[in-house]
Amino acid sequence: MQGWGTLLLPGLCLLGSFSCLLAAAGGYRRQVTLQFNPGTNVSSVNLLHVRAVGRNDTLHYVWSTIGAPTVLLLYTRSPSSALHVNWTKLLSASPAGAIWIEPPGSVVYSTAVVFTKVFEYNGANVSASSKGWEKQFYPAYDLAGFSWQNLNRTLNQTALTVTFQGVDTSDPGGAFRNGTISFQVTAYEQGSRDGHLPRLLHTANSSKVEFIMDKVAPRGNSSRFLLEVVTVEEKGRSKRLRSTWSIDDEFTPTIFEMAQLVSEPCNDSIGLSFFQWKTTAYGSKNASRENAIRCHYDPLQTSNRTLPGPSIVHAYFGEDLGRNLTVTAINISFGGEDGEVYAEKGYLSWSALLGFGVPPEDTFSPLVIAIMAVALGTPVVLLVAGGVVVLFTQRKRYSEYEPIN
Amino acid sequence: MEPGGEEERALLDSADDRCPQRKALPALCDPRRLAHRLLVLAFMCFLGFGSYFCYDNPAALQTQVQGDMKVNTATFMALYAWYSWPNVVLCFFGGFLIDRVFGIRLGTIIFSSFVCVGQVIFAMGALLNAFWLMEAGRFVFGIGGESLAVAQNAYAVSWFKGKELNLVFGLQLSMARIGSTVNMNIMGWIYSRVQDLLGSTGYSTLGLTLMIGGVTCIFSLICALTLAYLDKRAEKILCKEQGKTGEVIKLTDVKDFSLSLWLIFIVCVCYYVAVFPFIGLGKVFFIEKFRFSSQEASAINSIVYIISAPMSPVFGFLVDKLGRNIIWVLVAVVATLASHIMLAFTFWNPWIAMCLLGVAYSLLACALWPMVAFVVPEHQLGTAYGFMQSIQNLGLAIIAIAAGMILDSRGYLFLEVFFSACICLSLIAVVMLYFVNHLTGGDLNWSAKKREKLQKLAAAEKEI
Repeated sequence: MQGWGTLLLPGLCLLGSFSCLLAAAGGYRRQVTLQFNPGTNVSSVNLLHVRAVGRNDTLHYVWSTIGAPTVLLLYTRSPSSALHVNWTKLLSASPAGAIWIEPPGSVVYSTAVVFTKVFEYNGANVSASSKGWEKQFYPAYDLAGFSWQNLNRTLNQTALTVTFQGVDTSDPGGAFRNGTISFQVTAYEQGSRDGHLPRLLHTANSSKVEFIMDKVAPRGNSSRFLLEVVTVEEKGRSKRLRSTWSIDDEFTPTIFEMAQLVSEPCNDSIGLSFFQWKTTAYGSKNASRENAIRCHYDPLQTSNRTLPGPSIVHAYFGEDLGRNLTVTAINISFGGEDGEVYAEKGYLSWSALLGFGVPPEDTFSPLVIAIMAVALGTPVVLLVAGGVVVLFTQRKRYSEYEPIN
Repeated sequence: MEPGGEEERALLDSADDRCPQRKALPALCDPRRLAHRLLVLAFMCFLGFGSYFCYDNPAALQTQVQGDMKVNTATFMALYAWYSWPNVVLCFFGGFLIDRVFGIRLGTIIFSSFVCVGQVIFAMGALLNAFWLMEAGRFVFGIGGESLAVAQNAYAVSWFKGKELNLVFGLQLSMARIGSTVNMNIMGWIYSRVQDLLGSTGYSTLGLTLMIGGVTCIFSLICALTLAYLDKRAEKILCKEQGKTGEVIKLTDVKDFSLSLWLIFIVCVCYYVAVFPFIGLGKVFFIEKFRFSSQEASAINSIVYIISAPMSPVFGFLVDKLGRNIIWVLVAVVATLASHIMLAFTFWNPWIAMCLLGVAYSLLACALWPMVAFVVPEHQLGTAYGFMQSIQNLGLAIIAIAAGMILDSRGYLFLEVFFSACICLSLIAVVMLYFVNHLTGGDLNWSAKKREKLQKLAAAEKEI
């Protein structure tokens, strides 16, 4: 029957998409280990080494709160490359060369992301009449000046998560009396999708960082916060800001935009790195659509940025940052002109994915494809089947019926 | 107001014999004159304005309601569901209440009062930051809303039967659409004005805004009172009887309903659940997916109503002239499906999809509802229409909540896919209806010419 054909086709499509998904999810697996302050028992500083070993390469993520919260992303073409830290040098005033990879030749690509400052400004609903309105900023929180809790307590080797939790040591306004700012890091062994919002799709070549402000007292009635993110690229490369609009919002309801910082393409496909986020944050520990906070970003600032030190970026790339590296910065702000979601619960969480290779993209879930296939297929099948039936009965009728007169 | 010339049109023929001739009245005050009827028509049109205006208040203020009352979308959509629940039952009794219990005049006033009180409770709920009270308000509002439409039709029949009745129905429908459109485009603005006045957003801002919206209901209540007075007066002058809906509902008729009728019901329910809840959620959809400003989103969300206001009479005329109702329904359903698919899977300018939806929606209404009359004997017509509205309300109530839940957990793409699936179900029912009708030799898909011919034939046979 022709009907079977039409049913079969969507069925096959469904099967195909399923197997594709499985391949993407379970295809590649890395062996991931988390190590706190490797090679020392100093516990006053935090340095986390995430080593993700693949078939013939290794990814190193070095997270640290020496200076501002920073992550170094190093891609090495060797399954046995190792990270070395010279702690005395690292903790000295000039840490250049304190972090290196052995063998040095295996490093194919390196980049870094630094979370430098959190700004707070008055984002009160300003009527459209005052277009030339300038945001009124409060003194910024410099994350480099924060005191960060010992990481070891939050280290979870099975879930591969760790949390950097910090408070402002100076804290003149008492905003951090109960409040903290934290960066929760999740490493991944294989591709999959997060269970909770914004349900980012990740690969084995990526890690997630979640920026969380918890009960930090706002300094105004309609405070908004802004996170400054600085990226570091080797000379000759640069980051580019790309915004991808997808029609598919089934994983992150009502959010259609994915913003990403991608390193300019080069010959080596894995040499690409990305830092991507959905343009939403959430105002509650139980993230859901009602407590979504709209997230905006400014254009990439590329001109003459410097990175205040010391930090592990200096320790790895050397002191002469300006000459050897391209430093770019982007501001990501949370909350639009209306909505005081943060003020309600005093909670804000924003997730970003960073990693190597091609940034993951959402595709339709099998359920959507199945529903559309069945919904569109059935009327067609019915039309064909009905047509056949009508044709038959008509022929019968003509042959059987005799003229009345 | 005075139409050109002194064209005299006697109202009811029976009036002449039994009633004493009164002294001549000015045209505007004389129920026998067209001018007076037009005045009455104006009141009739504005009678429904308030309820249609306030029905879509939640849609016009979705962000504000959800923000100020701190509710998720599923709970928000319950506001629509609560409107529909009472009507699942009341559809059967609206006509009965008007004909047998209250009479049209008192009935209209009572239903208008329900609408008013419902809107006030709704607004009070917002003022007191009690969402359950808002839901209760919508329930009371629902009790009045749909029955008021029945009363409005009864008034129209009573005053315009045998005259400009179809035109009057059309005008009333257009007025309803205008009410919805004005609401969509003005409530956001009122909210921002109130916000400026109070200096902050919050539930009291919302409550005050809804109270202001409620003024339209008061206005409609005044129309109801005026109409009652004018109708009473006309009754005295013309010695006519109080208008009746003439609806007879017999629930046992349901077992006699044909397969075709059930298919028509399915088409109706599956179609409308993919249109009204969508419009209920539409404004924020256009803001979030297509980056529309609030005003733009209001405008595009009301385009379906704007289009249907002038197109309904046009399509009504066309379908009457051409017949072939099933084909028209099929075209409308397919067009709606295309529009939902466009909204789901593309970033194309949504004006295209929405205009298509508006046209399809008007066409469907004109082709679908008259079909009932072809498959049901006349004495069961009231029951059939009551049943159709009842299950439509049932569907709307359930799907409204389901749509809210889907949106919260799965997003707009999935919601649109869900609506598309509903439309597909409707499409399946249309296709089946076509074949069932074809095989049983039904007259649903005859052209108007054939219908006329057969009617003549039947009439000729009768004479013989």
